[in-house]
Amino acid sequence: MKSEKVEKKYMPEVPRKEIDELRNTIKTASEKIIADNIERMKKADPNRPQAMKYFDEMANLFGQRQKEIAAEKEKGKKVIGFMCLFAPAELILAADAIPVRVNSGWYDTSKLGDRVVPVEVCPVIRSTIGAKMIELSPFLELSDALISVLTCDGMTKLSEILSDYKTIWGMNIPRVKDSAQSLRFWNDEIKHMKSQIEEFTGNKITRKSLKEAIEQTQRATKAFRRLQDLRKGPPVIMGRDAMLVNQTYLWDDKKRWTEKTEALCDELEKRVQRKEWVCSPDTPRVLVTGTPMFWPDNWKLPTLVEEANPKGIIVADELCSGERILNDPVGVDEWTMDDMLSAIGERYLMASTCPCFTSSDGNEDRINWLINKVKEWNVQGVIYYVVRGCMLYGMEYTRIKKALDKINIPVYYLDTDYTREDVGQMKTRVEAFLEMLTARVDF
Amino acid sequence: MDWEIVGDILRITVLAGLGVAGVLAILIWKKNLATRITYMRLVIQAVAFTSLFYFFTFTVPLLYVLIAIFAVTLVIGRLYCGWLCPLGFVMDLTILVRKALKIRYRILPDRLNKILHKSRYAILLFFLFVPIALWLTQPPPSMPVAVMETKLLAGPFRPYSILIDPLIPFVVPWTNAAVAVFQINLTYPYVQEVLTYLGQNIGQVVAIAFVGLTLAGSFFVRRFWCRFCPTGASLAVVNRFKGFKWAPLLHIEKDEEKCTKCGVCKRVCQSQVTDVYEQKGGKINTSMCMLCLRCTEMCPYEDTLKVKFGNKTLFKSRNWLEPSTSE
Amino acid sequence: MDLGTQKVQAVILKDDAVVSRGQAFSGFDPTKAAEQAVGEALKKANLKISDVAYFVATGSAMEMAPYASSTVSMMGADAKAGVYLFPKARTIIDVGAEEARAVKCDEKGLMVDFIVNERCAAGAGAFIEAMARALEVKLEEMGPLSLKAERASPINASCVIFGESDVVSLIHRQESKPEIARAVFDAMADRISSMVHRLGVNPDVVLVGGVAKDVGFVASLNRKLGVNVLIPEFPDFAGALGAALAAASRAKEGQK
Repeated sequence: MKSEKVEKKYMPEVPRKEIDELRNTIKTASEKIIADNIERMKKADPNRPQAMKYFDEMANLFGQRQKEIAAEKEKGKKVIGFMCLFAPAELILAADAIPVRVNSGWYDTSKLGDRVVPVEVCPVIRSTIGAKMIELSPFLELSDALISVLTCDGMTKLSEILSDYKTIWGMNIPRVKDSAQSLRFWNDEIKHMKSQIEEFTGNKITRKSLKEAIEQTQRATKAFRRLQDLRKGPPVIMGRDAMLVNQTYLWDDKKRWTEKTEALCDELEKRVQRKEWVCSPDTPRVLVTGTPMFWPDNWKLPTLVEEANPKGIIVADELCSGERILNDPVGVDEWTMDDMLSAIGERYLMASTCPCFTSSDGNEDRINWLINKVKEWNVQGVIYYVVRGCMLYGMEYTRIKKALDKINIPVYYLDTDYTREDVGQMKTRVEAFLEMLTARVDF
Repeated sequence: MDWEIVGDILRITVLAGLGVAGVLAILIWKKNLATRITYMRLVIQAVAFTSLFYFFTFTVPLLYVLIAIFAVTLVIGRLYCGWLCPLGFVMDLTILVRKALKIRYRILPDRLNKILHKSRYAILLFFLFVPIALWLTQPPPSMPVAVMETKLLAGPFRPYSILIDPLIPFVVPWTNAAVAVFQINLTYPYVQEVLTYLGQNIGQVVAIAFVGLTLAGSFFVRRFWCRFCPTGASLAVVNRFKGFKWAPLLHIEKDEEKCTKCGVCKRVCQSQVTDVYEQKGGKINTSMCMLCLRCTEMCPYEDTLKVKFGNKTLFKSRNWLEPSTSE
Repeated sequence: MDLGTQKVQAVILKDDAVVSRGQAFSGFDPTKAAEQAVGEALKKANLKISDVAYFVATGSAMEMAPYASSTVSMMGADAKAGVYLFPKARTIIDVGAEEARAVKCDEKGLMVDFIVNERCAAGAGAFIEAMARALEVKLEEMGPLSLKAERASPINASCVIFGESDVVSLIHRQESKPEIARAVFDAMADRISSMVHRLGVNPDVVLVGGVAKDVGFVASLNRKLGVNVLIPEFPDFAGALGAALAAASRAKEGQK
């Protein structure tokens, strides 16, 4: 156990009183924002599905789920947090530990992060640093260990910063996605991670437990895909509701989440039959792609799109806080330990569309993914959302724009930060974009 | 005479009936969609295996068999290799044994795999030239002898029979088989060839080694013999010629936009074909593919891989997600 | 109506032609200013409020507009006005007091793409105002002054605030006022033209907004863009004109 007296590598010494004050202020403000967001989502759809009630409760980060995890910890289970989708959640589940994603979506803590790292650093990183400083994030605090995948510069250094507080295992990810050496290397990292998790939790990952974990995530993927497929037709669920459902997977109990999502899909299917649309089928259909958007504060853009005048609806997204979480299942050939591990390795490395990769054949899978989504979900416009400081997403914009111009889909580059001050300006831009889409639809 | 015909019809009906029943059973009871095609294939292979044993009680000129194989190839490509070949069936049975023992399969390095696949043509060419050489050195006395019967497998055209060696069942009706156990004549593909050309003593040693190697090899490397099989090469050679690009009619097609390059198809392929993964959409053009359809079965994105006959889609990849209920 | 941060403009259209215009300073109460501007336009046209069939508002304060049945975005209004004034217009640049934007449109005046400047006043009218103050020159004189210069002084164009203090040191170094003025316009034109290039320069290019009246800026922009921009007679009323055109088409559709 690291005592607080030992000097931290990065973090300044903050007096306990200040920590507690800041945490209480921001926590209260955050609870209000969570409630406010949910109120607005409820207002947007007066006939909101009953099944959403469960997700509204889960959305309260300081509420029930936190208590559940704490109770499990008392019984001896370990909590392993991770900051990036590449961390193999199946291994964590197989070792009977609780996986939970700990990225921060709080705007106010990013200003605290400015004390430690320059302002130009990615706001998600700064916000996570700030959240650790004042011990705000319940999941981050409850984690016994963290898996950090060193995808971008911010993540690499963040793992150093957080290593003062928790055990951090960094997973080296190769930058060239599809070469044979990369896959060998990544499979080695997965094997190494497996033994680290086993040692830490004291539970051996057996063939049976890994098979069950993989099957659990496959079932979750099925429910998830069912929900996304329901968004293909006329709008039967608000984009924000679906995005919330997707995101609660990151911290919720996987089995329960699957059941509740299946229930939601059942309800939505009945609505499709009764043709109960949540807004006019003419509403411009938008796809959001870019840097991840974390609940609760960074709900700025979806709220703006769906409450703008003219209104838009988000029917799909390509965000690692959204549809990338569960889109790809693990494809196991012959359920032996080796095959399962190499299936897991391949699923995480090769199916990913994160721009942190490049590939020898031109890195087209993100473009193909977007084009396929645009065609099948009938998307009319794409908002390319980037937080300032993200080099990788920002640089890929030109390429995506060229590809989407070819199929005549307008793309709008929207960059913002973890701040509430630019809501006015963003509103003008989003409304102009939606107006543009409406006009195109009319003609 | 009449009873023979009735007997034949009965046997054919029973075999066909078993085949259909097996396929239906799989379709109804096997809920795990990820392995349904594989089990269907096993059933059809078993039926083909037994029917070939029966088929060899007739005498059919070798030439007709060879022509039939080539013609059929144009239409269904190497479907024979994946679904009808008895030697393939034996290799698939060893795979089942290995899975039951929970032993991991091995993968050949990619380059080695491609080189071995090329060696098929070398073996094929060798055996194609042997009769020509024999004819030139020892011309046959008369024409009828030149056209040999499959049952007897002798004479200067004997080497061509290597092309139908995988067709030969293990229990044969002729008495000069390799081994006779309790008056049952057993043989093994290619062993007759080995015994003929290398003589009884060395031949037997090599034959036993060959049997061991192919069985042991396919225990660790899936469908090991297929990388050397000249029959497979002959089936694939037609596709390489310009005018025959449309052949075979039965093929796998890929939709580039839906492919996420997840690599599952490459990993599960028994012949280690990388073309399905690497090719940018369209008809998959590779002679290494034996249409076992494992890739299409396992591809987890709907409509990405399709098995088509001409323009008609027979089977396509689904939003596959049913977790395994077996094993 | 176009409710901008500094001024409110109003335009009345009848049978597809502009009948009159009105303007007022926004101050702290844009709603009242809008009422004033509309009142002025009505008086000039000898009309009453009840004569107007449909009101549409645009501009940064469009939510506070009186009488308006609906709103249209500033980019949309610019596109409509641009094509109305110059039928061959396909790129419209609007430089206002605090923001600059560019819109690409088709022949019907529908937006195809748009881009807005990155939250920085050094690409907008506020920059000229600040520098005019620093040079102790009247705002209207900046343009003609800059045309006298043959070259531009080297100024630090990254921030309005720094620009002002920059001017003082430049004067000490004996740089002439015309040259500094020209540098101001060149810096602005540079920023705006790089923004437009990201959108794609599609002729014909139209310039609207209050800053379009400044000859110095127009000269610099023409140089940097490599095309001569077209400027309407009343560039600061383009937004209001666009809103009026939107009102006309919505009134025709019977939209509420």
